[in-house]
Amino acid sequence: MKPVFLIAFSLVMSLPLHLSGQSSGATKASAPTAVKRTPEGKPEFSGIYEWPKSLGGEQCKCSATIFDRKFFASLKPGGEPFYEPPTGDPHHDEPRDFCMPAGFPSGMLSAYPIQMFQSKDYLVMVHEFQRMTRIIPLDGRKHHEDIEPTYYGDPIGHWEGDTLVIETTNFKRWTLDDNFYSNPKESRMHSDALRTVEHIRWKDKDKLSYLLTIDDPKIFTKPWSQEFQIKARPDWEATGLLEYVCQENNRCPGGKCQGQ
Amino acid sequence: MKGLFCFALLAAGFEALASARAHHSFYAEFDSNKPVKVTGVVTKVEWQNPHIWFYVDVRNADGSVTNWGFSGGSPNQLMRRGITKKVIQPGMTIMVQGFRAKDGSNNASGGKVTFTDGKSVFTASAEDKVQSEDKP
Repeated sequence: MKPVFLIAFSLVMSLPLHLSGQSSGATKASAPTAVKRTPEGKPEFSGIYEWPKSLGGEQCKCSATIFDRKFFASLKPGGEPFYEPPTGDPHHDEPRDFCMPAGFPSGMLSAYPIQMFQSKDYLVMVHEFQRMTRIIPLDGRKHHEDIEPTYYGDPIGHWEGDTLVIETTNFKRWTLDDNFYSNPKESRMHSDALRTVEHIRWKDKDKLSYLLTIDDPKIFTKPWSQEFQIKARPDWEATGLLEYVCQENNRCPGGKCQGQ
Repeated sequence: MKGLFCFALLAAGFEALASARAHHSFYAEFDSNKPVKVTGVVTKVEWQNPHIWFYVDVRNADGSVTNWGFSGGSPNQLMRRGITKKVIQPGMTIMVQGFRAKDGSNNASGGKVTFTDGKSVFTASAEDKVQSEDKP
Protein backbone atom coordinates (compact mmCIF):
# COMPACT_ATOMS: atom_id res chain seq x y z
CA MET A 1 0.00 0.00 0.00
CA LYS A 2 1.46 3.38 -0.97
CA PRO A 3 2.23 5.76 1.90
CA VAL A 4 -0.08 8.53 0.67
CA PHE A 5 -2.92 6.11 0.32
CA LEU A 6 -2.11 4.67 3.72
CA ILE A 7 -2.38 8.10 5.35
CA ALA A 8 -5.63 8.80 3.55
CA PHE A 9 -6.94 5.43 4.56
CA SER A 10 -6.01 6.06 8.18
CA LEU A 11 -7.91 9.32 8.10
CA VAL A 12 -10.92 7.57 6.68
CA MET A 13 -10.70 4.94 9.40
CA SER A 14 -10.79 7.61 12.07
CA LEU A 15 -14.43 8.04 11.05
CA PRO A 16 -17.07 5.82 12.64
CA LEU A 17 -17.01 2.21 11.56
CA HIS A 18 -20.11 1.00 9.83
CA LEU A 19 -20.69 -2.49 8.65
CA SER A 20 -23.96 -3.45 7.15
CA GLY A 21 -26.26 -4.33 9.99
CA GLN A 22 -23.95 -3.21 12.76
CA SER A 23 -25.84 -2.27 15.82
CA SER A 24 -22.95 -1.68 18.17
CA GLY A 25 -20.45 1.00 17.84
CA ALA A 26 -16.74 0.99 17.74
CA THR A 27 -16.63 4.65 16.96
CA LYS A 28 -12.96 5.47 16.50
CA ALA A 29 -10.62 3.41 14.42
CA SER A 30 -7.37 5.28 15.06
CA ALA A 31 -5.02 3.70 17.54
CA PRO A 32 -3.98 5.80 20.53
CA THR A 33 -0.65 7.48 19.87
CA ALA A 34 1.11 5.49 22.62
CA VAL A 35 0.39 2.17 20.94
CA LYS A 36 3.43 0.10 20.07
CA ARG A 37 3.85 -0.48 16.35
CA THR A 38 5.48 -3.08 14.14
CA PRO A 39 8.37 -2.23 11.80
CA GLU A 40 5.72 -1.91 9.08
CA GLY A 41 3.95 0.74 11.11
CA LYS A 42 0.97 -1.42 12.04
CA PRO A 43 -0.39 -1.53 15.58
CA GLU A 44 1.33 -4.33 17.49
CA PHE A 45 -1.04 -6.88 18.96
CA SER A 46 1.52 -9.45 20.13
CA GLY A 47 0.97 -10.17 23.81
CA ILE A 48 -1.26 -11.91 26.33
CA TYR A 49 -4.85 -10.90 26.87
CA GLU A 50 -7.99 -11.78 28.71
CA TRP A 51 -10.81 -13.22 26.66
CA PRO A 52 -13.31 -10.80 25.07
CA LYS A 53 -15.68 -9.38 27.64
CA SER A 54 -19.01 -7.65 27.19
CA LEU A 55 -19.33 -3.93 27.79
CA GLY A 56 -22.32 -4.58 30.03
CA GLY A 57 -25.71 -6.04 29.23
CA GLU A 58 -26.48 -9.74 29.10
CA GLN A 59 -24.07 -11.97 31.02
CA CYS A 60 -23.82 -15.77 31.11
CA LYS A 61 -24.37 -17.80 34.27
CA CYS A 62 -20.97 -19.17 33.46
CA SER A 63 -17.51 -17.70 33.10
CA ALA A 64 -17.60 -17.41 29.33
CA THR A 65 -18.78 -14.33 27.50
CA ILE A 66 -21.99 -14.65 25.53
CA PHE A 67 -23.68 -12.49 22.94
CA ASP A 68 -26.31 -10.03 24.09
CA ARG A 69 -29.59 -10.72 22.32
CA LYS A 70 -30.37 -7.04 22.10
CA PHE A 71 -27.87 -6.87 19.24
CA PHE A 72 -29.38 -9.75 17.28
CA ALA A 73 -30.98 -9.06 13.95
CA SER A 74 -34.43 -10.51 13.35
CA LEU A 75 -34.61 -14.20 12.69
CA LYS A 76 -35.39 -15.14 9.15
CA PRO A 77 -38.83 -16.74 8.80
CA GLY A 78 -38.39 -20.37 7.95
CA GLY A 79 -34.64 -20.17 8.33
CA GLU A 80 -32.52 -22.77 10.04
CA PRO A 81 -33.21 -23.17 13.76
CA PHE A 82 -31.12 -20.80 15.83
CA TYR A 83 -32.48 -21.77 19.24
CA GLU A 84 -32.20 -25.48 19.76
CA PRO A 85 -33.34 -27.19 22.96
CA PRO A 86 -31.26 -29.99 24.45
CA THR A 87 -32.09 -33.48 23.29
CA GLY A 88 -30.75 -35.34 26.33
CA ASP A 89 -27.93 -36.72 24.22
CA PRO A 90 -24.75 -35.15 25.63
CA HIS A 91 -22.97 -35.71 22.32
CA HIS A 92 -25.42 -33.21 20.89
CA ASP A 93 -26.06 -31.00 23.89
CA GLU A 94 -22.48 -30.44 25.04
CA PRO A 95 -19.98 -32.03 22.65
CA ARG A 96 -17.11 -30.31 24.44
CA ASP A 97 -17.73 -32.74 27.27
CA PHE A 98 -16.26 -35.32 24.92
CA CYS A 99 -13.40 -32.95 24.12
CA MET A 100 -14.90 -31.87 20.84
CA PRO A 101 -13.81 -28.39 19.73
CA ALA A 102 -15.50 -25.29 21.03
CA GLY A 103 -15.30 -23.76 17.56
CA PHE A 104 -15.39 -20.09 16.64
CA PRO A 105 -16.73 -17.78 17.91
CA SER A 106 -17.73 -19.79 21.00
CA GLY A 107 -14.17 -20.81 21.84
CA MET A 108 -12.91 -17.26 21.45
CA LEU A 109 -15.29 -16.24 24.23
CA SER A 110 -14.15 -18.95 26.67
CA ALA A 111 -12.77 -17.78 29.97
CA TYR A 112 -9.09 -18.46 29.39
CA PRO A 113 -6.18 -16.25 28.32
CA ILE A 114 -5.35 -15.54 24.70
CA GLN A 115 -1.85 -14.99 23.37
CA MET A 116 -1.34 -13.26 20.05
CA PHE A 117 1.73 -13.40 17.85
CA GLN A 118 1.96 -10.96 14.98
CA SER A 119 4.18 -10.74 11.93
CA LYS A 120 3.86 -8.91 8.67
CA ASP A 121 2.01 -11.79 7.07
CA TYR A 122 0.25 -13.50 9.98
CA LEU A 123 -1.60 -12.96 13.18
CA VAL A 124 -1.69 -16.09 15.32
CA MET A 125 -4.18 -16.27 18.16
CA VAL A 126 -3.64 -19.04 20.69
CA HIS A 127 -6.45 -19.49 23.18
CA GLU A 128 -5.56 -21.45 26.28
CA PHE A 129 -8.94 -23.19 26.26
CA GLN A 130 -8.44 -26.34 24.22
CA ARG A 131 -5.26 -24.65 22.91
CA MET A 132 -7.41 -23.26 20.13
CA THR A 133 -5.05 -21.83 17.52
CA ARG A 134 -6.17 -19.51 14.78
CA ILE A 135 -3.59 -18.75 12.11
CA ILE A 136 -4.79 -15.70 10.25
CA PRO A 137 -2.98 -14.84 7.01
CA LEU A 138 -2.53 -11.11 6.41
CA ASP A 139 -0.78 -11.50 3.06
CA GLY A 140 -3.71 -10.79 0.81
CA ARG A 141 -4.63 -14.35 -0.04
CA LYS A 142 -8.22 -15.35 -0.72
CA HIS A 143 -10.34 -17.83 1.19
CA HIS A 144 -9.83 -21.49 0.45
CA GLU A 145 -12.23 -23.00 -2.02
CA ASP A 146 -13.82 -26.41 -1.99
CA ILE A 147 -12.68 -27.46 1.45
CA GLU A 148 -14.86 -29.12 4.04
CA PRO A 149 -16.60 -26.87 6.57
CA THR A 150 -14.70 -26.57 9.84
CA TYR A 151 -15.24 -25.72 13.50
CA TYR A 152 -13.06 -22.63 13.39
CA GLY A 153 -13.60 -21.59 9.80
CA ASP A 154 -11.16 -20.15 7.29
CA PRO A 155 -9.89 -16.73 8.39
CA ILE A 156 -8.10 -14.08 6.34
CA GLY A 157 -7.15 -10.65 7.59
CA HIS A 158 -6.34 -7.25 6.22
CA TRP A 159 -5.66 -3.82 7.62
CA GLU A 160 -8.05 -0.93 7.40
CA GLY A 161 -5.93 1.85 8.84
CA ASP A 162 -5.12 0.89 12.42
CA THR A 163 -7.87 -1.71 12.53
CA LEU A 164 -7.22 -5.34 11.74
CA VAL A 165 -10.20 -6.87 9.96
CA ILE A 166 -10.56 -10.65 9.97
CA GLU A 167 -13.16 -12.29 7.81
CA THR A 168 -13.88 -15.97 8.47
CA THR A 169 -15.99 -18.30 6.39
CA ASN A 170 -16.42 -22.04 5.83
CA PHE A 171 -17.95 -23.07 9.15
CA LYS A 172 -19.86 -26.19 9.99
CA ARG A 173 -23.07 -25.80 11.98
CA TRP A 174 -22.07 -25.54 15.63
CA THR A 175 -22.78 -23.77 18.90
CA LEU A 176 -22.54 -20.00 18.62
CA ASP A 177 -21.86 -19.35 22.31
CA ASP A 178 -22.38 -20.70 25.84
CA ASN A 179 -25.88 -19.32 26.27
CA PHE A 180 -27.24 -22.76 27.11
CA TYR A 181 -25.52 -22.55 30.48
CA SER A 182 -27.81 -19.61 31.26
CA ASN A 183 -30.86 -21.09 29.61
CA PRO A 184 -30.71 -24.82 28.89
CA LYS A 185 -33.59 -24.46 26.44
CA GLU A 186 -31.63 -22.08 24.28
CA SER A 187 -28.59 -23.55 22.65
CA ARG A 188 -27.77 -21.01 19.98
CA MET A 189 -26.63 -22.70 16.83
CA HIS A 190 -25.09 -20.88 13.89
CA SER A 191 -25.50 -22.37 10.44
CA ASP A 192 -22.95 -23.46 7.87
CA ALA A 193 -23.57 -20.17 6.09
CA LEU A 194 -21.96 -18.23 8.94
CA ARG A 195 -19.50 -15.52 8.03
CA THR A 196 -17.84 -13.58 10.81
CA VAL A 197 -15.98 -10.30 10.65
CA GLU A 198 -13.75 -9.16 13.49
CA HIS A 199 -12.52 -5.59 13.81
CA ILE A 200 -9.63 -5.37 16.27
CA ARG A 201 -8.02 -2.11 17.27
CA TRP A 202 -6.41 -0.52 20.30
CA LYS A 203 -8.98 1.40 22.28
CA ASP A 204 -6.48 2.74 24.78
CA LYS A 205 -3.04 1.68 25.94
CA ASP A 206 -4.15 -1.60 27.52
CA LYS A 207 -7.51 -2.45 25.96
CA LEU A 208 -8.51 -3.67 22.55
CA SER A 209 -11.85 -3.00 20.98
CA TYR A 210 -13.12 -6.25 19.52
CA LEU A 211 -16.09 -5.80 17.25
CA LEU A 212 -17.54 -9.09 16.14
CA THR A 213 -20.04 -9.23 13.31
CA ILE A 214 -22.27 -12.26 12.78
CA ASP A 215 -23.47 -12.65 9.24
CA ASP A 216 -25.58 -15.80 9.01
CA PRO A 217 -28.00 -15.43 6.12
CA LYS A 218 -29.67 -18.78 6.79
CA ILE A 219 -30.75 -17.49 10.21
CA PHE A 220 -30.78 -13.71 10.37
CA THR A 221 -32.36 -11.12 8.10
CA LYS A 222 -29.14 -9.09 8.15
CA PRO A 223 -25.69 -9.08 9.78
CA TRP A 224 -25.40 -7.84 13.34
CA SER A 225 -22.48 -6.89 15.56
CA GLN A 226 -21.46 -6.62 19.17
CA GLU A 227 -18.44 -4.82 20.52
CA PHE A 228 -16.40 -6.52 23.23
CA GLN A 229 -13.31 -5.42 25.12
CA ILE A 230 -10.09 -7.40 25.35
CA LYS A 231 -7.78 -6.38 28.18
CA ALA A 232 -4.04 -6.77 27.79
CA ARG A 233 -2.43 -8.71 30.66
CA PRO A 234 1.32 -8.16 30.47
CA ASP A 235 1.45 -9.46 34.05
CA TRP A 236 0.59 -12.89 32.62
CA GLU A 237 3.56 -12.84 30.24
CA ALA A 238 5.93 -14.44 32.74
CA THR A 239 3.66 -17.45 33.20
CA GLY A 240 2.51 -17.57 29.62
CA LEU A 241 -0.12 -19.93 28.39
CA LEU A 242 -0.41 -23.25 30.12
CA GLU A 243 -1.13 -26.59 28.51
CA TYR A 244 -4.72 -27.68 28.14
CA VAL A 245 -5.22 -31.23 26.94
CA CYS A 246 -8.87 -32.09 27.27
CA GLN A 247 -8.38 -35.82 26.86
CA GLU A 248 -5.85 -36.01 29.66
CA ASN A 249 -8.22 -36.69 32.52
CA ASN A 250 -11.75 -36.27 31.20
CA ARG A 251 -13.19 -38.76 33.64
CA CYS A 252 -16.96 -38.33 33.34
CA PRO A 253 -17.76 -37.68 29.68
CA GLY A 254 -21.48 -37.46 29.14
CA GLY A 255 -22.10 -38.04 32.83
CA LYS A 256 -20.68 -41.57 32.82
CA CYS A 257 -17.68 -41.65 35.10
CA GLN A 258 -14.82 -43.96 34.38
CA GLY A 259 -12.88 -45.87 37.01
CA GLN A 260 -10.74 -44.05 39.53
CA MET B 1 -28.82 -42.51 47.20
CA LYS B 2 -26.90 -44.73 49.56
CA GLY B 3 -27.91 -43.56 52.97
CA LEU B 4 -25.05 -45.23 54.78
CA PHE B 5 -22.56 -42.82 53.35
CA CYS B 6 -21.58 -39.73 55.20
CA PHE B 7 -23.48 -37.85 52.59
CA ALA B 8 -25.99 -35.11 53.16
CA LEU B 9 -28.42 -33.08 51.18
CA LEU B 10 -27.70 -29.49 51.97
CA ALA B 11 -30.12 -26.73 52.78
CA ALA B 12 -31.30 -23.79 50.80
CA GLY B 13 -28.07 -21.82 51.01
CA PHE B 14 -26.35 -24.36 48.89
CA GLU B 15 -29.25 -24.60 46.50
CA ALA B 16 -28.14 -21.27 45.14
CA LEU B 17 -25.26 -23.14 43.61
CA ALA B 18 -27.57 -25.78 42.27
CA SER B 19 -28.78 -23.46 39.56
CA ALA B 20 -25.27 -22.83 38.38
CA ARG B 21 -24.48 -24.02 34.90
CA ALA B 22 -20.86 -24.45 35.63
CA HIS B 23 -17.81 -25.25 33.57
CA HIS B 24 -17.98 -26.84 30.19
CA SER B 25 -18.76 -30.29 31.48
CA PHE B 26 -20.71 -29.64 34.65
CA TYR B 27 -24.03 -29.58 32.86
CA ALA B 28 -23.33 -32.90 31.18
CA GLU B 29 -21.66 -34.64 34.08
CA PHE B 30 -23.19 -33.59 37.37
CA ASP B 31 -26.67 -33.38 38.82
CA SER B 32 -27.33 -29.92 40.21
CA ASN B 33 -30.22 -31.35 42.22
CA LYS B 34 -27.94 -33.65 44.20
CA PRO B 35 -25.60 -31.62 46.37
CA VAL B 36 -23.12 -33.61 48.43
CA LYS B 37 -21.10 -32.78 51.51
CA VAL B 38 -18.57 -35.24 52.84
CA THR B 39 -15.62 -35.21 55.21
CA GLY B 40 -12.67 -37.54 54.89
CA VAL B 41 -9.00 -38.06 54.18
CA VAL B 42 -7.45 -37.21 50.81
CA THR B 43 -6.02 -40.32 49.15
CA LYS B 44 -4.95 -39.03 45.75
CA VAL B 45 -4.77 -35.79 43.78
CA GLU B 46 -4.73 -35.53 39.98
CA TRP B 47 -3.81 -31.97 39.08
CA GLN B 48 -4.58 -32.44 35.40
CA ASN B 49 -6.68 -31.04 32.57
CA PRO B 50 -9.41 -30.56 31.81
CA HIS B 51 -10.32 -30.63 35.52
CA ILE B 52 -8.46 -31.54 38.65
CA TRP B 53 -9.67 -34.62 40.50
CA PHE B 54 -9.04 -35.44 44.10
CA TYR B 55 -10.14 -38.49 46.04
CA VAL B 56 -11.32 -38.70 49.61
CA ASP B 57 -11.81 -41.73 51.85
CA VAL B 58 -15.06 -41.19 53.72
CA ARG B 59 -15.95 -43.38 56.70
CA ASN B 60 -19.55 -44.56 56.63
CA ALA B 61 -21.87 -45.09 59.58
CA ASP B 62 -21.24 -48.84 59.50
CA GLY B 63 -17.49 -48.35 59.68
CA SER B 64 -16.82 -49.11 56.05
CA VAL B 65 -14.95 -46.61 53.90
CA THR B 66 -15.99 -45.21 50.54
CA ASN B 67 -13.56 -43.47 48.25
CA TRP B 68 -15.21 -40.42 46.65
CA GLY B 69 -13.82 -38.67 43.58
CA PHE B 70 -14.24 -34.91 43.18
CA SER B 71 -13.76 -32.86 40.04
CA GLY B 72 -12.67 -29.22 40.31
CA GLY B 73 -11.70 -26.47 37.91
CA SER B 74 -8.87 -26.69 35.43
CA PRO B 75 -5.35 -26.45 36.85
CA ASN B 76 -4.84 -23.31 34.78
CA GLN B 77 -7.89 -21.51 36.08
CA LEU B 78 -7.07 -22.49 39.65
CA MET B 79 -3.46 -21.40 39.37
CA ARG B 80 -4.53 -17.95 38.20
CA ARG B 81 -6.76 -17.77 41.27
CA GLY B 82 -3.73 -18.54 43.42
CA ILE B 83 -4.67 -22.17 44.07
CA THR B 84 -1.88 -24.63 43.34
CA LYS B 85 -1.60 -28.36 43.81
CA LYS B 86 0.09 -27.72 47.16
CA VAL B 87 -3.31 -26.74 48.55
CA ILE B 88 -4.67 -30.29 48.62
CA GLN B 89 -2.27 -33.04 49.61
CA PRO B 90 -2.83 -36.74 50.31
CA GLY B 91 -3.31 -37.36 54.00
CA MET B 92 -5.17 -34.12 54.67
CA THR B 93 -8.60 -34.25 56.27
CA ILE B 94 -11.01 -32.06 54.33
CA MET B 95 -14.70 -31.38 53.92
CA VAL B 96 -15.88 -31.16 50.33
CA GLN B 97 -19.10 -29.71 48.96
CA GLY B 98 -20.22 -30.36 45.44
CA PHE B 99 -22.79 -32.09 43.25
CA ARG B 100 -23.04 -35.79 42.57
CA ALA B 101 -22.29 -37.33 39.18
CA LYS B 102 -25.31 -38.03 37.00
CA ASP B 103 -24.48 -41.72 36.86
CA GLY B 104 -24.96 -42.02 40.63
CA SER B 105 -21.38 -43.15 41.19
CA ASN B 106 -19.29 -41.91 44.07
CA ASN B 107 -18.03 -39.02 42.00
CA ALA B 108 -19.01 -35.39 42.30
CA SER B 109 -18.04 -31.89 41.40
CA GLY B 110 -15.85 -30.51 44.15
CA GLY B 111 -16.73 -26.87 44.47
CA LYS B 112 -15.56 -25.99 47.94
CA VAL B 113 -12.93 -27.57 50.16
CA THR B 114 -12.76 -26.72 53.86
CA PHE B 115 -9.73 -27.64 55.95
CA THR B 116 -9.56 -28.61 59.61
CA ASP B 117 -8.52 -25.09 60.58
CA GLY B 118 -11.75 -23.74 59.10
CA LYS B 119 -10.12 -22.15 56.09
CA SER B 120 -11.56 -23.01 52.71
CA VAL B 121 -10.71 -22.75 49.03
CA PHE B 122 -12.97 -22.69 46.08
CA THR B 123 -11.73 -25.43 43.83
CA ALA B 124 -14.48 -25.43 41.23
CA SER B 125 -14.47 -23.74 37.88
CA ALA B 126 -14.76 -19.99 37.52
CA GLU B 127 -18.46 -20.32 36.80
CA ASP B 128 -19.14 -21.76 40.22
CA LYS B 129 -17.05 -19.03 41.75
CA VAL B 130 -19.19 -16.41 40.07
CA GLN B 131 -22.31 -18.03 41.45
CA SER B 132 -20.94 -18.32 44.95
CA GLU B 133 -19.89 -14.70 45.02
CA ASP B 134 -23.34 -13.69 43.87
CA LYS B 135 -25.01 -15.78 46.53
CA PRO B 136 -22.56 -16.53 49.33
